[in-house]
Amino acid sequence: MSVSEGGWKGERRGLLGWFGELDRLLTGEYTGVSLLRERGLGISPWRLSACIVILGMSYGICMGLFSVFGEKGPGAMQVVASMVKVPLVFYLTLIVTLPSLYVFNALVGSRISFVGVVRLLVASLGVNVTVLASLGPIVAFFSVCTTSYPFMKLLNVAVFAVAGAFGLRFLFQTLHRMNLAAGPWPTAEAGDEAGPLQPVPDRSVASHVRLVFRLWMIVFGLVGAQMGWILRPFIGDPSLPFAWFRHRESNFFLAVLQALQNLFS
Amino acid sequence: MAMPVELFRRTDALLRGEAEAVESGRASSMAALALMIAGFGMWYGGVMGTFGGLAGDRPWQLLYSAVKVPILIMLTFAMSVPSFYVVNTLLGLRNDFPRVLRALLTTQAGLTVILASLSPLTAFWYASGPPYQVAILFNGAMFAVASLGAQAILRREYGPLIRKDGTHRWMLVVWVVLYIFVGIQMGWVLRPFVGSPIRPVQFFREDSWSNAYEFVLRLTWDVVMGRGS
Repeated sequence: MSVSEGGWKGERRGLLGWFGELDRLLTGEYTGVSLLRERGLGISPWRLSACIVILGMSYGICMGLFSVFGEKGPGAMQVVASMVKVPLVFYLTLIVTLPSLYVFNALVGSRISFVGVVRLLVASLGVNVTVLASLGPIVAFFSVCTTSYPFMKLLNVAVFAVAGAFGLRFLFQTLHRMNLAAGPWPTAEAGDEAGPLQPVPDRSVASHVRLVFRLWMIVFGLVGAQMGWILRPFIGDPSLPFAWFRHRESNFFLAVLQALQNLFS
Repeated sequence: MAMPVELFRRTDALLRGEAEAVESGRASSMAALALMIAGFGMWYGGVMGTFGGLAGDRPWQLLYSAVKVPILIMLTFAMSVPSFYVVNTLLGLRNDFPRVLRALLTTQAGLTVILASLSPLTAFWYASGPPYQVAILFNGAMFAVASLGAQAILRREYGPLIRKDGTHRWMLVVWVVLYIFVGIQMGWVLRPFVGSPIRPVQFFREDSWSNAYEFVLRLTWDVVMGRGS
């Protein structure tokens, strides 16, 4: 008994420690330019991933709650499905976009290693999912007291878009700082005290490098959105029975337009 | 005797500005601010709930409304704070967050104080016998006025923070948007606050689980199409 208790306690401490790591990431402690120069992005992708999965699942519950309160809809199974699918969307998007980021990154003359790119992507997922989960209570509240399916779809799209914007901003800023840190130029380490999203003077990074990263960010956003569409339903149409997946049809952007149209008609 | 005087002093300090209150040693603690929100909120809620009169089981409406106004404010606050905290952290404002939280709580307390000060107007309006719909609109207007007043408090409390770091200016906008978005729906779910005299006294309406934004869109559509009653 005492052994199992000890084990549980140890695990809990560990988990708290992992969330502490996520917290330090959010405050920008890992992304100061001089620290990046010394040690690189010093996060553990595995530990951070555990936090991401937990936070993603908690958002999945908030999202899936909508179907629990419908009379005919998919019911509680949708909550389970959404719990599984939210982290899945992020990691599948990561797998799809990682190679291209790495290749373009190397192509435009950046010095960040493959492991560095993986860490960077997991870190920005961490930021993305934390913002998402922090909006979870609001989404859960609306899920519980809304009967309009199009409204819930649009609200969730908006929440994902906001969280995604933060994640991408972090990605872009950190990539930029990592390039500054890896470069041979002695920089006045302006990014040491700033939050993780604040811009750092960037005279040393050529504009075509930034253009490539911007284009890549658009690709990342598009893939993420469409990945969400392929893995749908997340919210659960109240007029349809539960299904893990829907047929392949249409695309994310048409569906958002359709939802807008339904809300106003 | 000391309690009401102390309460009045603290309220006065809150209205005149937190900075001044800190200087004069009359700044309220977070708990005191929460108590003020509960007290003044209940006061306005109680007045709000008297629309149907006080005969029969009507005093219950008064009680329900009194309980619901502080719940409305506190729950909206509790739901908006987590994401606001994360966004503040990401923008490098974590160290200022205790002061931010204090500014936000002061604003909420200010909102309820303003509401309470408007309560005689509401009672007077009720006494002149308006129809139910008009009473609702009047209360809506009172909340709007109180929100505008609270905005002034919020801006004043945020002043030093903004001077320290301009990012706070944006955070202020983020907070207002977030708070109003959640608050409108929260108010909708927690209705009735005024209590229709022809409907039974209830804590919640049976049909309260719906969406305010969806309802307003439909209502606007009806008005535009000339189908309003």
